[in-house]
Amino acid sequence: MKKLSLVFAVALASFVSLSAQAVDQREYHKDVIGKDCKTCHDQGLKNYPSDQACTQCHDVDELAEQTARSEEDKWQNPHNNLHYGKELPCIECHGEHELKKPMCSNCHTFKYDKHK
Amino acid sequence: MSKVNLLERRNFIKGMGAAAGAAGMAMAAPAMAVSQSANGVKWDKEVEIAIIGSGFAGLAAGIESMRLGAKDVHIFEKMSYFGGNSAINGGLFAAPGTPMQKKEGVNDSVERMVQDQLKAGRGIADEALLRHVAEHAVEALQMTFDAGSEYHPYLQQLGGHSVARTYQTTVSCGAGITQPLLKECRKLGVQTHNRAKFEGFLVNDEGKVEGFKIRQGYYFGEEDTGKLMHIKAKRGVLMATGGFAQNVNLRMAQDPTLTAEVGCTNAPGATGEGMYEMFRLGAIPVHLAHIQSGPWASPDEGGFGYVSNYSIYNFPHSMAVNCLTGERFMNEIADRKTRADAELACRDKQGNPLPPILITSYKDSKKHPNTKKVIKYNVGWKFDSVEELAKHFNVPLKPLKAQIKEYNQYVKSGNDAQFGKNMTKAKGKYIEAPFTVVRLWPKVHYCQGGVQVNTKAEVKDSFTGKPIAGLYAAGEVCGGVHGVSRLGSCSIPECMVMGMTAARTMMKA
Ligand SMILES: Cc1cc2nc3c(=O)[nH]c(=O)nc-3n(C[C@H](O)[C@H](O)[C@H](O)COP(=O)(O)OP(=O)(O)OC[C@H]3O[C@@H](n4cnc5c(N)ncnc54)[C@H](O)[C@@H]3O)c2cc1C
Repeated sequence: MKKLSLVFAVALASFVSLSAQAVDQREYHKDVIGKDCKTCHDQGLKNYPSDQACTQCHDVDELAEQTARSEEDKWQNPHNNLHYGKELPCIECHGEHELKKPMCSNCHTFKYDKHK
Repeated sequence: MSKVNLLERRNFIKGMGAAAGAAGMAMAAPAMAVSQSANGVKWDKEVEIAIIGSGFAGLAAGIESMRLGAKDVHIFEKMSYFGGNSAINGGLFAAPGTPMQKKEGVNDSVERMVQDQLKAGRGIADEALLRHVAEHAVEALQMTFDAGSEYHPYLQQLGGHSVARTYQTTVSCGAGITQPLLKECRKLGVQTHNRAKFEGFLVNDEGKVEGFKIRQGYYFGEEDTGKLMHIKAKRGVLMATGGFAQNVNLRMAQDPTLTAEVGCTNAPGATGEGMYEMFRLGAIPVHLAHIQSGPWASPDEGGFGYVSNYSIYNFPHSMAVNCLTGERFMNEIADRKTRADAELACRDKQGNPLPPILITSYKDSKKHPNTKKVIKYNVGWKFDSVEELAKHFNVPLKPLKAQIKEYNQYVKSGNDAQFGKNMTKAKGKYIEAPFTVVRLWPKVHYCQGGVQVNTKAEVKDSFTGKPIAGLYAAGEVCGGVHGVSRLGSCSIPECMVMGMTAARTMMKA
């Protein structure tokens, strides 16, 4: 736990410094999207990407498979969760230019070690 | 309504735009909705039935109206996801005269459920509404069966109920109902819109609600996102927007003790602007100051979390103990207010909160599916001995041991000499090692107050006492039904029955 929060703090610090350069982007997204902001910002550059923007490339069913948990914890699957099924818009938990907390942590202490 | 009133109403509505605009500057988020005259409005769209809010009330109304032959029903939800409080709710559903009660030989009736609720309501509950809901609760339960909801194969007896009459979904969550209902809605052809925030009514010269304004493409908390649309609703607008427990300003206006420091179990969308907009239109505010805190919540996790359902299930065969004294301090199945008040009184010598603990025998607690999770996620603990338990929470050992011994005698005799707890469900369930323990602290949970409705789900006007034409309300946004204290598991039947009722009324209108 301690270790995790340390990693988080470091990540946060690097984010803060990066945000000074206006646009922070994930490495693997740079490869695909490059600098074409409109790829994601389909509702105009000043607006959030639409709820469908990420699913142009990411398949919800595949994501749900990748993050599946054991039968006992199966509803903690963020991409197919108890409360909202597969319908939760990506930006509730993920931000390309900012770190977000997984929405589940509003009420639960589940761990999502790979969440970013 | 007399002509004079009408004119005043119209001027009032006209004036509101400007007034709210100015006030809006000083007001914190969420930005306030404003109603306007429908005169000369260019409608962007016309629908048959408009439902604002996608919880139990809205979804049940959607299904029922389609079943009654509606062709064009729309649900508008301001959040990006559907379900409101209902989707995070505990999935506990009370109804009298159910199939499972027949199977378990529980003697129950509409009258009995109403009497239990009237008692908790402490003389100010709305008997007609309670009776209407109890009479139709089994129909609502059936609607969930038909949609595919699944329930645990046992009944529970919750605090304040005189018999076991509560079903619970197998996932121990309201999502076990909202997910099937949402699917059923869509299957029947109800159109569902997310990121669609209600912003005010559009009212004609006779004071009838003709339509409303909705902000489509809205991002929660960013008030000027999205595009404002004017929508006409032929048969009416159903407000199913839920409570206001998340709006600290509004709840503190009613009860100054409910500051931001007090936790809250509600979904973020429970901010109340739909309700306040109905007040501006003339709806009658009832019982706004009666805001209920859940006595089964834990300070060790956010929101409702896992502990709430764990403790609701376990209270009947558990012992709640004040950590300072090692002694019991309440009837573990008294109604919510009694217990929440008793918990808040548990403090250390300096007066700081000292959350009490709930002690259960592992053999009995483990029957609830959450028990494993509570331990796994570190919001509850398992101990092999009293000594270990006492040390962990710094509880004085001797009085604790004595208390356990005393309590176990009540289990045996069936008579709780300390707090008069009904020991029926505790029969044979002695408090013995190994134990499971969680900490308790109340969280703001439910708003009993809201707009007044009649048994047809029509919203009453404060001056005429007559229904406001074209306007309906159902669910937690309505007030006065439960009085001082709502019994657990009585909101699902209320929301669903009143949603169905609103659909029936609108389809006749
Ligand atoms: C954690 C928790 C557990 C509970 N457990 C139980 C239980 O086990 N049994 C029981 O009987 N009761 C329980 N309750 C109470 C019960 O869940 C609620 O009273 C009930 O869900 C309310 O349903 P509703 O349809 O009235 O509103 P909600 O389900 O809250 O739905 C209202 C919807 O309207 C939306 N909305 C609000 N304003 C606007 C607007 N301006 N424009 C568009 N949309 C808007 C909201 O975002 C929300 O989605 C629980 C409550 C909570 C919070």
